Amino acid sequence: MTTHVGLMLIFSLFVSVVFAVLTRDEPREQVTFGARLFGGFVGAGILIGWLLYPLPL
Amino acid sequence: MRAAAADRVQAASTTYLICAVAWFVPGAGHLWLGRRQKGIVFLLALSLMFAFGLWLEGRLFPFEVTQPLVVLAAIADLGLGLPYVVAKALGVGAGRVVAITYEYGNTFVIVAGLLNMLVVLDVFDIAKGRK
Repeated sequence: MTTHVGLMLIFSLFVSVVFAVLTRDEPREQVTFGARLFGGFVGAGILIGWLLYPLPL
Repeated sequence: MRAAAADRVQAASTTYLICAVAWFVPGAGHLWLGRRQKGIVFLLALSLMFAFGLWLEGRLFPFEVTQPLVVLAAIADLGLGLPYVVAKALGVGAGRVVAITYEYGNTFVIVAGLLNMLVVLDVFDIAKGRK
């Protein structure tokens, strides 16, 4: 659980939940927006990770 | 979702009291204003995030004025209110720099405090009748 990816998933989950509940009022909207946020966080993390993979050149 | 208590515009003094309570106990401001679901989620999520950060051996930063970045981290830590006070009182949050999860722990603790500051701002808007 304390791998970089594992911690990124847990961090993304916490932040997504708080942001979704903070910015949306209806439970259905909260779940939808939270899932999109979570996917965005994880996707961006993986993408940026691969972009940084060749560094330092 | 909006409860009757939340739809009323609060008096200025009450608004600041609610914000203080919201800062001290994550989610308490929303609970006060009748938004129970949000309050419970904030209470659980932010407290868990903070505890998780401490479990990862993150540090509760001191107010060292000679190190501005450390002061900023300390302010962010303090953003969580009661969990911060309890952790300080129990002597946890010393941080272990050589721990492999040290920086991750710091990130969890700092972000939990910053998110609670956003929650307090949301409470302010609700109490003012803007949301």
